[in-house]
Amino acid sequence: MNVKELIYDELINVSKPERYIGNEYNIIKKNWKEIAIKVLTVFPDVYEIGMSHLGLKIIYHLLNEESNILCERAYSPWPDMERLLRKKDLPIFSLESGRGPKEFDILAFTLQYEMSYTNLLTILNLAGIEFYSKDRSETDPLVIGGGSIVSNVEPVAPFFDLIFIGEAENDLVNIINMYYNLKNSGLKKDKILLKLSSLPGVYIPTLYNIKYNENGTIESIKPDNEKIKSNIKRQVVSDLNEAYFPKKFLVPHMETVHDRATIEISRGCTKGCRFCSAGITYRPTRERKKEKILKLADQILKNTGYDELSLTSLSTVDHTEIDSLVKELINRYQEDKISISLSSLRVDKFSVKLANEVQKIRKTGLTFAPEAGTDRLRKVINKGISEDDLYEAVKAAFTEGWSTIKLYFMIGLPTEKKEDLNGIIEMVNNVLKLGKKIRKSSNKKMKPIWINVSISTFIPKANTPFQWETMIDRKELKKRLNYLRKNLNKKGINFSWNDEDLSLLESIFSRGDRRLSKVIVNAWNKGARFDGWGDHFDYNLWLKAFHEEEVRIDYYLRDRSLEELLPWQHIDMGLNNEFLKNELNKALSYETTDECRFNRCQGCNICYNLEFDLNVIGNDYNVHKS
Amino acid sequence: MFIRAEYKKLDQLKYISHLELMSTFRSTFRRTNIALKYSQGFNPHIIFAMSQPLPVGMIGYEEYFDLELKQRLSLKEIKTQINTKLPNGLFVNDIIEISDNEKSLQAVVNTAKYQFRIRFNKKHIDKSKIINNFIKTKDLTITRYRRNKDNRKINIASMIHTGKIIEGNIWEFTVSTGSSGNVRPQEVIRALNHYTNNIIKKLSLTDIKRLGLYVKRKDKLYKPTNSKVLKKEVK
Repeated sequence: MNVKELIYDELINVSKPERYIGNEYNIIKKNWKEIAIKVLTVFPDVYEIGMSHLGLKIIYHLLNEESNILCERAYSPWPDMERLLRKKDLPIFSLESGRGPKEFDILAFTLQYEMSYTNLLTILNLAGIEFYSKDRSETDPLVIGGGSIVSNVEPVAPFFDLIFIGEAENDLVNIINMYYNLKNSGLKKDKILLKLSSLPGVYIPTLYNIKYNENGTIESIKPDNEKIKSNIKRQVVSDLNEAYFPKKFLVPHMETVHDRATIEISRGCTKGCRFCSAGITYRPTRERKKEKILKLADQILKNTGYDELSLTSLSTVDHTEIDSLVKELINRYQEDKISISLSSLRVDKFSVKLANEVQKIRKTGLTFAPEAGTDRLRKVINKGISEDDLYEAVKAAFTEGWSTIKLYFMIGLPTEKKEDLNGIIEMVNNVLKLGKKIRKSSNKKMKPIWINVSISTFIPKANTPFQWETMIDRKELKKRLNYLRKNLNKKGINFSWNDEDLSLLESIFSRGDRRLSKVIVNAWNKGARFDGWGDHFDYNLWLKAFHEEEVRIDYYLRDRSLEELLPWQHIDMGLNNEFLKNELNKALSYETTDECRFNRCQGCNICYNLEFDLNVIGNDYNVHKS
Repeated sequence: MFIRAEYKKLDQLKYISHLELMSTFRSTFRRTNIALKYSQGFNPHIIFAMSQPLPVGMIGYEEYFDLELKQRLSLKEIKTQINTKLPNGLFVNDIIEISDNEKSLQAVVNTAKYQFRIRFNKKHIDKSKIINNFIKTKDLTITRYRRNKDNRKINIASMIHTGKIIEGNIWEFTVSTGSSGNVRPQEVIRALNHYTNNIIKKLSLTDIKRLGLYVKRKDKLYKPTNSKVLKKEVK
């Protein structure tokens, strides 16, 4: 049934109808009747967010390269669209063939952000699919998930039949084919899942039993029987140069968050910031070679017609060939007026120099992330920059003519004291002063100096050295925010911060367990949708849901003892058990850890455990061998 | 080299806005092998202009844009290149060359033809009588709703030029469009409703199509690509 056709003319009554029309240039519409296996990928947020996500683009094109697989896309309906669909008793539909989720063999969700969990339920519910894997019937599509939050997927694990742990490029096609063949051979779903569970990276949540102690902590996480693996090992692409990367990106008609051509120039980051979950779960750093990037750039720009090319990575400037790569790209595309953008900058002069190359004419703004206010606290989080590094970087930026600088800080970090907050205030003021001074003596026509200060709340994340730490108390968080706000309230400074309650909820989920799934369902029933969107988030509704399900919030905010069994213990990131503990100890004694790529191996053991060919990792791989 | 193209925007893309349409065209041009001319300055952009915006939700059959190229190419080649790189739902019907000092589309286009799919509240209506009387009426005062401004009373009678019934519920009107007098298609319906004591059901923009945009000279309608309304013909 073509649902899209059925309500097409009524889309005029919903906001941004272009979210639901598809028809982008490069869209892949395969013949429904001729293709055996049908996969619907779902991004549980609106189109313009989902279409900016690189991972899903890779999956879409990768699957469609297969002659026996058809892959289509759906995104979350905005509440007005959800109302329209309910009124008509229709499901959300794919943008390609306009069909509802139930017509597909596999429903594949990408999980990027804890606050999109309720959106996931909306899509299942509109399609008439039960929330919990155990309640679904044999005829329902297989509901699978993957993405960056799989480092702790437990709060939503009961909703999934299968979750893939890690980078899926190498394994996904195989999993899909195997599922299809087993299904065709007449096997029941539980038998199929059991068989699939032996594949690398495949996590079947229903096959793992969790027992709890009387005090609520986890006693054990055990598979149903001994034949099932006890740990699910994260899968990785070993060589980015060999990995699949799409060349015919879809070109959306509506403006998306990242409306440009994108090339992932490297994956992973070994800087070792201790609060960062991606810094562990994407290890090790793997670079795409310059020649490969240049070739991709050429194909992608020709196929899309974009006038901007973004080089993305967790740490773009750390690519070992970044300098010559940027120069070469500028050289090639100057005449076609294609601009180059860098997704992240380091706090140093080199970054400013690079940014200056790519923004020669129009300087839009520069962002630096010192993250904390004192050298001491930056040592705790292993953000290896000093106060002077920041001043040098911003000095270079102002001198080159930038007038707007954005500074990222975090509050609520372990060991944070009043002097750390004062440090933030002092640094911001110094940067402002520096800017004003340079502007006064500059012969460039500079706009008035603005410092945009962005404060986010530290959230202890699974698989980081701070996974055992306390989440800052709500009252205390408010107090610290108010203190900063009061002291940074002056001309030339813009102050923005994360919603405290939203941070709190995110922190509950980021270290949560399966008992939270019923809270999510309860909140969804009460109307929770798009919780990540400030104006849709209703904290009281969540409080009620926690209360009704008798789930204690403070249990999830507390610090954990090093001996406690953590809910994600069976998901194996490839880490040496002791590494995170060592890192925590070093943090608390203000010791830093060098980046392994250019120094000696720091013992996280991921290269070894995930069987990496050290040649592809980076510069100085010899040190890893020792 | 300057070109003027006539294109259609069909059902598949009727929900994209004017600005989105412009960016869709720009990326389409960059996908072709056509050498494009860019403006000077801080933020160089393709030299490209479109005719009056088509409201979101409405199909348009004869819409126009002007584009400057860096190098000469045959019109056939340009049309083929653009059409192979356009998304489904957009199609270039025709391209002509224009001189470099041709008046802009928005300056010359002054008339639009709309087709309405009308639904009535009553049966047994003398449709031809209604439309004939409607066209002759000298006072068709309606309220114009303006974004971020006060509503205004306006008499649109002199700006509705012709009206006819194509068959049954399919009615066509030509009206003024552009800076020297503009009637929105929904306003025609509101006037009609007011004049006939609400016999017409509320219309959605998806019930209206824009059949074409024209340059009106002495009661005659010409396409903006017609040599009669162009400054001079380019060979």
